[in-house]
Amino acid sequence: MESLKLKKITALWVITILVLFLAAIVLGILMRLNQAEVINQEPLTFYTNMTTHGLTMIGIWFVAGMAAVNYLLQRYVKTSYTANLFAFILTVLGVVLLWLCTYLGKFNTGWTFLYPLPFKDLGAAPWATPLFLVALTILGLGWLVWSVSMMAKILQRYTLAQAFAWQHLSKQPKSETPPFILITMITLVGVIAALIAAVIVIVLFFAEYFSKGSFVNDALLMKNLIYFFGHTIANEMLYLGVAVIYEIFGELSGRPKWKTTWYVSLAWNSALIFILTAFFHHLYMDFVQPEGLQIIGQLASYLASLPSVAVTVFSIIVAIYGVRIQWSITNCLFFLGVIGWVIGGLGAVIDATISNNIVLHNTLWVPAHFHTYNAMGNVLFSLGFFYWFTTQHVSKLVISKLTKFALIVLIISGIGFLMAFYIGGADSIPRRYSTYPEALTTGPALARMGAYFACLYLLVILMFFYNIAKRCFAILSAPSSSVGA
Amino acid sequence: MLRHFICTLFFSWSLIVFGYGAPANLDEEQNIYAQIYNAPIKLSPTQAQVSLADIYNRKPMLLAFVFTRCTGVCSPFLLQLNETLRQISGKYLYQVVVLSFDPRDDVEAMQSLSTRLHLEKSTQWIFATTDSITALNLSLGFDPIWDSSTNQFDHEALLVGVNTQGYITKKLLGIRGDLELRQMLASINNAYIPSYRLPADNDLFSCFTYDPTTGKNIPNLGLLIIALPALVSFLLLVCIAFFSRNKAAKWTE
Ligand code: HEM
Repeated sequence: MESLKLKKITALWVITILVLFLAAIVLGILMRLNQAEVINQEPLTFYTNMTTHGLTMIGIWFVAGMAAVNYLLQRYVKTSYTANLFAFILTVLGVVLLWLCTYLGKFNTGWTFLYPLPFKDLGAAPWATPLFLVALTILGLGWLVWSVSMMAKILQRYTLAQAFAWQHLSKQPKSETPPFILITMITLVGVIAALIAAVIVIVLFFAEYFSKGSFVNDALLMKNLIYFFGHTIANEMLYLGVAVIYEIFGELSGRPKWKTTWYVSLAWNSALIFILTAFFHHLYMDFVQPEGLQIIGQLASYLASLPSVAVTVFSIIVAIYGVRIQWSITNCLFFLGVIGWVIGGLGAVIDATISNNIVLHNTLWVPAHFHTYNAMGNVLFSLGFFYWFTTQHVSKLVISKLTKFALIVLIISGIGFLMAFYIGGADSIPRRYSTYPEALTTGPALARMGAYFACLYLLVILMFFYNIAKRCFAILSAPSSSVGA
Repeated sequence: MLRHFICTLFFSWSLIVFGYGAPANLDEEQNIYAQIYNAPIKLSPTQAQVSLADIYNRKPMLLAFVFTRCTGVCSPFLLQLNETLRQISGKYLYQVVVLSFDPRDDVEAMQSLSTRLHLEKSTQWIFATTDSITALNLSLGFDPIWDSSTNQFDHEALLVGVNTQGYITKKLLGIRGDLELRQMLASINNAYIPSYRLPADNDLFSCFTYDPTTGKNIPNLGLLIIALPALVSFLLLVCIAFFSRNKAAKWTE
């Protein structure tokens, strides 16, 4: 059974994530209102909001997936509580420093901090860039230790081949690897690679910062490394959520637990290889990038996403088709999340196709697709887990009328918020503009539409927050004997 | 033939005098993508004033700044511009507006300048004056300084590229070669112009080294570093697997 300490630290993660999520949504709404010309913020304020929003969102939904996976991993191996706590402390510290950087230091490069922006005078305090790098180092250290520790625990029980479910590629596998272990392993390798890329980037930034001009970085190298980190981590965090679905969707729906088959093993192993090279699609506009890498970028984008999406959707269809399953708030959120993941994934694949990217590059199509698989995908995976984690019992997850209504509002608000981005993207409206020039007539109107739907989305999240947080506080304050029962 | 020869000679001389190949001036980066001031301009003594927008809205514009009493760069600048444009003009649309920044110049003086350059009949070249030079200069970051000892302006040869929406897409200071002019023509026609900083000695991990003799990019250390995160994580995975199994084996013994 999951230990009390693990339950408490997971509850702490959940509350922290949700509080930061609410704050980051408010920042998102402020940005949309500014683009809509409903409010009038200085460009510097817009870009500090944008940077804080992006960094916070990526950070929290990554650790949400990690905390969920760590919690469920306990069913198979004994994970390290110390590594979990260490990651929590460093995450809180890192986030506080990041917010200091952006709000006191006015650091405003966007969450991708593309070189050489952190060294340019964009109105930030001189200490903001080094502090930002320190904050990243702290976050990276905490997450690297946590990931390596989980990986080591899995590899103490499973051989390398078993952990990657290679035996399932043969006709009669001698042992069975649960899909949860397979996907977790695949994801952890990607997470570690992304974090190592971040380490190299931080070292290179610091080297230039302290060299006082005797060393400068190569912009192409830095862009490659930053997207190796940024793109990979943003995708791996989705896979963490998918691992959770593979583990509990079946049992929540009163159906058999999902099993690893040859095609599940093949799809996820190919995701491992291809996810590490898909980031090249961020460099299509960089003409100095070798053409071969651009082609790899396009192929890897297809091969990393399509097989894993296909097997997951297939597994869900098999689980729900033609049978009466028990719908709870958790598997409803999982189901909606998978739809968001698929639609956002398609949007991403469209953008990752070189001939389309020429038109869609850096338009609102980009936030359109990544908000689809985040705000209406990964977030729902994690919220589903949070509900399940705080109740631990299917009977307590039944959907009340109010919850049903909230889910409908969530769908409508999500679609409205995202459509404003998609239509803007299709209309070639650029992303990351604090206000739109007059020529982009549809920009402000779409931004207004996006902002109003986002407010509705926020209301639903507030309701979820209330439900989940009160149970988390109960877990945190409960005496040892009553927790984990 | 003779005219070509004289032009070429003049060009070679002016390159030496005015420093062809000098590194791009930082000022060239300023005011890019800003809107040019829509100054009223006068083209002939008989016609009414028109605005710059009337010109650039019709066709992308190269705007050259000179003054007729100039004893320095102005004439070689215009001659060379004419010569280079003649050689490179291809698929791109453009017109050249030669504008005086000297308030003492009038339209007649500009017309005689065009005659001196044999451009009076060209439909692509327009010679003009303006009474709003200060505002125009300000929108371009151009700052000619009057030197009363020489009775001349201390100024650089400035060529500004403006697209049909009035945005400054590129600025060139000094007499420049055909490559840069080609880029300027592309930019005023809203074409994409790739550029990449050349690796310097303090750039240890560049992805490529540019070889000026062959014009090719040779892969460099930076490209290897891109593969490093994947390599290190796989190595780490193998090491963890090895040590974890050892540990697990010890526990089960
Ligand atoms: C209702 C909730 C949300 C709202 C209102 C919102 C709004 C916005 C807006 C307006 C932008 C700037 C778009 C532009 O480029 O013009 C943005 C960027 C971004 N959002 Fe959200 N967002 C929301 C949820 C999320 C979620 C759940 C994530 C999860 C990862 C996320 C991650 C990001 C990232 C990474 C950026 C890019 C920041 C940058 O360019 O540096 N957002 N968001």
